[in-house]
This record gives sequence, structure tokens and C-alpha cells, in this order.
Amino acid sequence: MEGFLIFSISVLTLAFVYVILCLALNIECGVAGMWDLGIVSYFGVGAYSYAILVAPAAASYQHYLFGFELNPVFGILLAVTMGGISAYLIGLPSLRLRREYFLITTIAFSEVLRITFSNENWLTNGVAGIYNIEQPLKTFFSPDIYLILLFIVFFVFAIITYFIVSRLSNSTYGLSLKALRENESLAKTARIEPSKQYHSVYVFTGCLAGLSGALYVWLNTLIVPTQFTPNVTFFVWTALIIGGIGNNKGAFLGAIFFVILLETLSFLNLSAELALVISSLRIALVGLALILILRFLPNGLISEKPRFL
Amino acid sequence: MLEVTNINKFYGGVRAVENVSLEVKKGKIIGLIGTNGAGKTTLFNVISGFDKSDNGIVNLSGKDITKLTPSNIAELGLIRTFQTATGFPRLTVLENLLVFSSKNNFNFFNNFLIKQDNSHDLIETAENVLKNFGLLEKKNQWVGDLSAPELKILEFARAIMGDPLIMLLDEPAAGVNPALLENLMSIITELNKNGVTFLIVDHNLRFICEITDYIYVMNDGKLIAEGTPDTIINNELVIQTYIGK
Amino acid sequence: MDIFIYGLVTGSILLICALGFSMTLKTEGFINVAHGQMLMLGAYYALGLTYIGFPFIIAAFLSVLFCGFTGLLFQRVLFKPIKGNGILVQLFTSVGLAYMINGLVGAIAGKRMLSFDIPIARVIKVGDVYLVTPYEFMILVIVLITVLILHLFLQYSILGKNIRAVADNQELAKIRGINPDRCSDLVWFIASSLAGLGGIFLGILGAVHLNMGWQQIVMILSVTVLGGLGSIYGVMLAGLLLGFAMEFGLLVFSSNYRTAIAFGVIILVLVIRPEGLQSLWQSKGREN
Ligand SMILES: Nc1ncnc2c1ncn2[C@@H]1O[C@H](COP(=O)(O)OP(=O)(O)O)[C@@H](O)[C@H]1O
Ligand SMILES: [Mg+2]
Repeated sequence: MEGFLIFSISVLTLAFVYVILCLALNIECGVAGMWDLGIVSYFGVGAYSYAILVAPAAASYQHYLFGFELNPVFGILLAVTMGGISAYLIGLPSLRLRREYFLITTIAFSEVLRITFSNENWLTNGVAGIYNIEQPLKTFFSPDIYLILLFIVFFVFAIITYFIVSRLSNSTYGLSLKALRENESLAKTARIEPSKQYHSVYVFTGCLAGLSGALYVWLNTLIVPTQFTPNVTFFVWTALIIGGIGNNKGAFLGAIFFVILLETLSFLNLSAELALVISSLRIALVGLALILILRFLPNGLISEKPRFL
Repeated sequence: MLEVTNINKFYGGVRAVENVSLEVKKGKIIGLIGTNGAGKTTLFNVISGFDKSDNGIVNLSGKDITKLTPSNIAELGLIRTFQTATGFPRLTVLENLLVFSSKNNFNFFNNFLIKQDNSHDLIETAENVLKNFGLLEKKNQWVGDLSAPELKILEFARAIMGDPLIMLLDEPAAGVNPALLENLMSIITELNKNGVTFLIVDHNLRFICEITDYIYVMNDGKLIAEGTPDTIINNELVIQTYIGK
Repeated sequence: MDIFIYGLVTGSILLICALGFSMTLKTEGFINVAHGQMLMLGAYYALGLTYIGFPFIIAAFLSVLFCGFTGLLFQRVLFKPIKGNGILVQLFTSVGLAYMINGLVGAIAGKRMLSFDIPIARVIKVGDVYLVTPYEFMILVIVLITVLILHLFLQYSILGKNIRAVADNQELAKIRGINPDRCSDLVWFIASSLAGLGGIFLGILGAVHLNMGWQQIVMILSVTVLGGLGSIYGVMLAGLLLGFAMEFGLLVFSSNYRTAIAFGVIILVLVIRPEGLQSLWQSKGREN
């Protein structure tokens, strides 16, 4: 296949991973109005769950104890479950807090998790990470076909997530989340119990983030702790804000727009030195885009609209 | 219907509510007056579960609600308003009503597994309510874009959606022009005829005396007088502490 | 004993890094994520200035000034126009700015770890006890002086009083004839200089690299929240406390978990006492 086509397809495939993460963040933060700076936690937990279940047993120079070489389907299921469970547990203390206090607790938890991933060699193989995690069904297809297959599978995951999240946002449940976002005290007088709604949406977000973590490892075939810094959280937030916070279409397109913005420059065939400069500059470019959007389109590319019933 | 017994609420050294007992009988409109800082809002917060009292008991329809959360209490049919009129700014007028419907099921799984869209019946009911209050043309506007008087009206419209047994109104007449006040009074009496009980805090004595059956007077956290509107406006103590100022 | 001193050094640097952040939070009302990158900028400015031949001390001094003016520029160009557009808009504008600074510095200086060209220092020894290196000692002294000056400035100078007035109540301050824009400028200048100073300290004791801003900002956030959002004195206490917590925590945990200890403390404090350390003295104040 032609280089550019391959490149575009793999960029979009990666973008779908971000789409799921971005939709998860949108229902939690855009719809329910929570200030979560820790979504990378569940992304990471999902990714490691998948990796541990699917990876082959450790080689002599590696330290992790597990590595079950199981069917990736189980990996994905475990990733979703563990994402949800960890969100449930972290939610227990942190959901009692709001706004800035919630924000700092969630980001602190995400750092504690990342540091744990880096140090618990028996579980995660530490900073060295786990490599060569086989992609499901890879052997049955030629690389080109597999690339397209991956694109389709990830697209389907993203679309299904989109429909589930949209449906939920437009349901009575979604209405209760928006009410909490707008005015928590008043929402209580409408029979809405904040702790229940916040905890359920938090766990749901954790499940989706776990799913996207699993897909991320599937795509990359490797996992290292540095993939799970708060940078991921800020990236997803940036994508969501560019797309339009509170709007699921915005979240979808924002993630795609963002990944394209981030990856496009890396396609150019450049000398190593120049490539390094470019890779820094594209970060600056993302920053510039974010600043400009916030200045001139503060509600994002597709803003939240009044819903006509 | 609502019995409040020996409520105390202290903030550090401030005795916001001190040993207050009062009763609101079913079908009545009861007033609660007192100077700024008398403890009226604090009492409302305690009754509606937004604040925990230091001690004392709140009973609603014979059930002890002292330890329940605000949403549990709302579930039982007690709806309160806040001192400053509020809504959900970035929800439409119609949605603001739908949120309050007593038929809502907010449970995650119910909405996740079963299609729980706001049903047509519900929307129709809400539209009818809006029509009665003259807000129908605005149904798809964001509540943040409503004028202050419209927001006041909305507070009643959404309360109706929740089929309240009793409403606690915190200063409904504050900042309201005479025409709107007439309108609010007719809304309240209309609702009352349909069986809604009221406990109303306000500073506007004319309004309170005209609309209520019975009035409690608070000062510095304590109840200092109670009686029918006639006796209250002639009560020496009340004139001294309240009207005198 | 040495744990105590390490804690003091760690804590003082944290404190300097967090002070400016806390000032912008208090007067501008938002979480300035770019503050971490201002630290990095300070270190790289100093590095750049030594490359073109300035002696380190002068380079450091100039770098602090440059940082101040850079911050002022950001305030004028980026943040002033969006004032009043909501906390999240401001917060994420600062995230965008953080990316821009990080990207531009990375493009110019590359991604290698760098360090200041200063001689390696021996630990000062008093009797049998090893204390600190001269660098650490200098840092402690400079932090102490800086904090003292800042305190005197905020407490007694007219400009400082104006800043506090704006932080307490912007509208009231306006009525009293204080120009909030002028105050914002000043706060940005001071906050960014302090960030530059903190970045240079970090560079002296460790390395200068592109990720130092991101690493520090989470820590800074923690210190600030622990200190009770935007309370400058709370932040000072929290900085020192976390410094000690990290060093003492090493008695129990492996050093890899150094920062995790700090975050653990934060989580614990927030869950037990959501208003942070500040509530310790504020709630007392009300009761009296
Ligand atoms: N959360 C609080 N913390 C401390 N003091 C409070 C709090 N809420 C109310 N108060 C005090 O309690 C007293 C009663 O206030 P409030 O109930 O609002 O009075 P009212 O509604 O009658 O004007 C006032 O002195 C007020 O300052
Ligand atoms: Mg009041």
C-alpha cells in the first residue's frame, strides 16, 4: 500500500482509541460537570490488565510473574472490569470532594498509580515494560489487511461507544447528570442523589477508559509506565475542549482532530535532528490550537446546544 | 404534616437556630418571619436535610426525616426553594421541568439497559404546565437566558411537576414587582386549593399577612411569637423587634 | 538529623515553586498549569545565558528577571483578554501555554538532559555531622530571604496591600480605587520570577530537562491544595510539611515511591480535611 495511506489509516486507528477516552471524559466532565484530572488512571489500569492477561510468560531477563497468554477477548473484558473497579474504589474517597479538591485528588491518584506501575516489577515489569504483546488474529492476515481490519474494529468500538454514551446523555439519567453539573443543591430538591449519580458515572467512565487502554496496548503491542503520565489526561481534555465540551459529536471529532494535529507532522520524512525539532514543535502547535480555540471558540468546534424535545 | 421539635443549630458561637419547635398542618399556608439573620434559612436547611441540626427532630407525615438526605426528603414530597431564585442555566426550560418530574427514574442501569427517554406523556404534562404559566414559547430556551421574573415563575412550574405535598418557600417575594407578586399569590393559593401545604419565609408583611393562616416569628435564632396574622401585627414584641427596625 | 535537613531543603524548594502558583490562584482565581513550564523556562534561560558567556550568578539573576517579564507578557497577551470567561477557560488556556512553552523550548534546546556548569560541591561538615552542600545552604538562605521579603511586601507595602485587597474581593477593591489590572500584572511578574528561581534551584540540585515542568506541576498543585487553595502562608507550611513527609517516608518506603508518598499524604489530608491545612487556623478564627 502507499505510504501515506498506511500512515493515515494508522493515525485514525489511534484516533479511535482517543475517541473512546474522550467520550468517557465527556460524559463525566462535560455532561456531569466533574473536574477529573485522573482519567489516565483507568486508561492505565485497563492497559495493564489487558497486557498481563494477553502477554506471554516472562522471559528470563524479565521480572513479571504473570503473563497468561490468554485470548485478547478476556483481556478486553478484564480491562473494562478493572477500569470500573478501580474507578469505584478511587471514587469512594475522592467523590466526596468537589472541583479543585476533586481535581487534585484524582491527579494525585493517577500519579500514585503510575509510580506503582513503574516500581512493581513482579506485576508490570517496571520501567522496562512488557513488549511483544501479540495482536489477536495477526497471523491470519497479511500486514496490510490487518491494518485495515484493525481500523475497522477500532472504528466499530468507537461508534458503539458513541451510541451508548449519546443514549445515556440523552436519557433521564443524563438529565440528572446535567442537573448536577448546573446546580447540585437544586438537583437534590429534584430527588437526585448526587453520590449515586456521581459514583455510577465515574465507574462507567472507568470502564470506558479501561476499554480504550486495552485497545491502546493491542495497537502498540507494548506497554511502559511512561505512557500513563498526566499528559494523557491533559491531551484528552484538550481534545474534548477543541471538539466542544458537553457535546458527544464534539468529543468524537475533537479526538480525531487532535490526533491528526499531533501526528501529521510526524509523517514528513525528515532527518533525525529535524524530526526531533518537529516533534517538539507539534506540541507547541497543539498548545497554540488550544489557546486559539479557547479565545475565539470557547465552546469548541461543536458546542453544546439546547436540546429540543 | 410537618412537625419540627426542639431544633438547635449552632455555627461555632453563633446560635443560628435555638430550640425552635413549630408545626405545619396539612392544607395550611404558614408564614415564618424575622429580621435578617434570625435563622429562618438555617431552619429551612435543617428541615430539608441540607444541614444537620445539632439536636431536635423533624417529622414529615409522621415519619422521622431528621437524618435523611435532601433527595430522600424531596422524594417524600417536600420541595424547597432557595433564597435567590435558581434554575439549571444550561438546560432548556422544558428540561428544567422534566428534571423535577416525580415519575423520573434516575437509576443508571434502568437508563442504560432500558430505553428511558423522556416520554411523550411527561413532555405533554410539562408543556401544559408551561402553558398555564405563560412560558410555553420559551420551552426550548436555556434557562440562563430567562429574565428574573420568568425564573420566579419557573420555580413554581417545576415544583408542580414534582407533585409536592408541602413547599418551603424562602423569600419568594424578595425583589418581585407588585404585578408579579399578585401573580405569585394567585399561584400559591391555587396550589393550596389543590392540596399543597406551604411554609413561607418572607419580609413582605403585607404579602405574608394576606396569604397565610398562621405566622411564626423568629429573632436571634429563637421563636418569639406565633399566632394568626391579626394577632401578630398587633403583638407588642413583634412590633418592637421586627417592624420597629 | 540529616533527614531533617533534606526535608528542609526539599520543602523550601517546593515552597518557592508553589508560592507563585498560589499567588496567581488567589488573585486571578484559576489553576495556572503553565507555572510548571515557567520553572523549566527559568532553568533554560539561565542555561542559555551561561552558554553565551555570563557567569552563573548573573545568568541566574537575569533569568529570574526574564521570567518575570515573560510572565507579564503572557498575562497581557493571553490571560487578560479572557478574564471573566470562567475558570476552565483560563485553566486550559494555561495548559495550551504550557504546551507552547514546552514545545518551543524543546525545539530550541533539544530533549537531552542538561546541567548547569557549576563545580561539584562538597558537603559541609561540622564536627562529625555532615550537613549540606554550599549550594543547598545558599538555597536555604535565598528561600528564607525571599519568603521574608514577600511577606513584608504583601503585609506592609501599598502595592502588596492592594494585591491582598484584590485577592479578597475584586469588586470591593475596585470601589476603593485599586486597579485590578495593575495588580494582575504585578502578581504575574512576581509569580513568574519566583517560578524562575525555583527552576534554577531544581537545576542546581538535579538536572535541567524538558519534563521538569510537568513533573513539578502536580507536586505544586498538591502543595497548594494542601495549604488551602491560595493561602500563601498555608502553602509555606504545606511545602515544608510535604518535604519532611517525603524524606521521612523514605524510612518506610523505597525511594522510588518518594513522590507517591507526597501524593498519599495529599489524598489523606483532603479526605479527612477537605479545606486543607488552612482550615486548621481558619475554623479557630471563627469560633473566637
Ligand atoms: N454556614 C454557616 N456558617 C456560619 N454561620 C452561619 C452559616 N449559615 C448561617 N449562619 C449564621 O446563622 C445566622 C442565621 O442565618 P440565616 O438562617 O441565613 O438567617 P435568615 O435566613 O433568617 O436571614 C446568621 O447569623 C448567620 O450568620
Ligand atoms: Mg435567609
